[in-house]
Amino acid sequence: MNYDRPELLDRLAAEYVFGTMNARVRSRFQAIQRGLPAARQAVEDWEQRLTPLAHSVPPAQPSAAAWAAIERRIDGRESRQAAPASAWLAWLRPFLGVAFGVVATLGLVRLYPTAVVPVDDIVQERGTLPASYVGLLTDAANNPVVLASSTRHGRIMSIKMLRKVEAPAGKVLQLWALPKEGAAFPLGVVPSEGKGSFTMPDTSEKLLSSVPRLAVSIEDAPARAGAMPAPYVLTGNCVKLW
Amino acid sequence: MSSITLASADLKQLLARVALGDRTAFRRLYDATAPSLFGVALRIVRQRDRAEEVLQDAFVNAWKRAAGYQAALSQPMTWLTAIVRNRALDELRSARQSADSLDEREGEDAAAIEDTQPGPLGLLEQAADKLAIRDCLDAIEGSQRQCLALVYYHGLSHSEVAAHVGSPIGSVKVWLRRGLDKLKRCLESLA
Repeated sequence: MNYDRPELLDRLAAEYVFGTMNARVRSRFQAIQRGLPAARQAVEDWEQRLTPLAHSVPPAQPSAAAWAAIERRIDGRESRQAAPASAWLAWLRPFLGVAFGVVATLGLVRLYPTAVVPVDDIVQERGTLPASYVGLLTDAANNPVVLASSTRHGRIMSIKMLRKVEAPAGKVLQLWALPKEGAAFPLGVVPSEGKGSFTMPDTSEKLLSSVPRLAVSIEDAPARAGAMPAPYVLTGNCVKLW
Repeated sequence: MSSITLASADLKQLLARVALGDRTAFRRLYDATAPSLFGVALRIVRQRDRAEEVLQDAFVNAWKRAAGYQAALSQPMTWLTAIVRNRALDELRSARQSADSLDEREGEDAAAIEDTQPGPLGLLEQAADKLAIRDCLDAIEGSQRQCLALVYYHGLSHSEVAAHVGSPIGSVKVWLRRGLDKLKRCLESLA
């Protein structure tokens, strides 16, 4: 589809903001918005137009637990979670936390022994691949170009270039994560051919659990957190291998 | 918790302070806007617990993105409502991939909402009255107006609207497209 046509973007933005797109199309259009400022602008225009219609909806009072949950989350104390069912559960939580920690540690060593045993040995023994995040990025002609993979609880992203990518002299190929919500964030720089790897700022599980898409752009220098990506030259799905 | 209504300029100031990490301002923003935003989410996802999750996600998102809010381009309530609607639609669509029908989705919460509050067409008409575009809205054909209201306020998909109004999905798509074009012209006449 040619997203350079303003009337097409306007139509898609209208359907996105109005709400008629299904889950698959919504998620695809969200990825397009992250990479294409014109698409984002078309969406903002429609949001400006349609939002006054929402103001006739009668207000409703959320429970007091909703604010408490928001505070916990912005403090980074927990990820999305429903409010505690009752006061005794809240009181019990610290004890449950310790108990869960012990069980989880034992469980993690059993489930994810990659820290102490080479991955190949585990694969041979189990006959299955370890839990990992895998991304396959393609070019505009749908040719597979980048294979990116990282074990679920590891910080190393391994890159295999399936085709050579010619970056202009002095430029780098920057790999981005495109989360379901929020702005794209940089993961690391990929080589133009062969294999490579880089260490990510956190584990794959932390960084990629809500990232359905990856993309590569050509940048002057490795991107810093908060930077805006140049147009993407390669994009692809990021999936959980378990 | 009070449901104070703050002027848009006050909300802009609060958002500017939230962007700097001011938790007190964030709480005031929440108190002033959460009931309206929760109402919007509740209409779309239809269940209080899911609507509260949507509200939580939206406010955590707003906290993280406040620095990117551009006061010159968007009113605070427009910005916040867009975050909530987007999150609510994502929640609804992902939950609906299991292909549950409209009837299955309408649990007791939904029934309670339907009984006590104006239906989607009523909401659209009230909004048009407030915006002084009622004449323009009334000029849109009835079936188109009904489809528009079902989609916007309840987040129904094409096929669900078709099932709800008992018309072929092809007709519903055409009605929606034409209705949206007309609605766009009504809303642009405001500017």
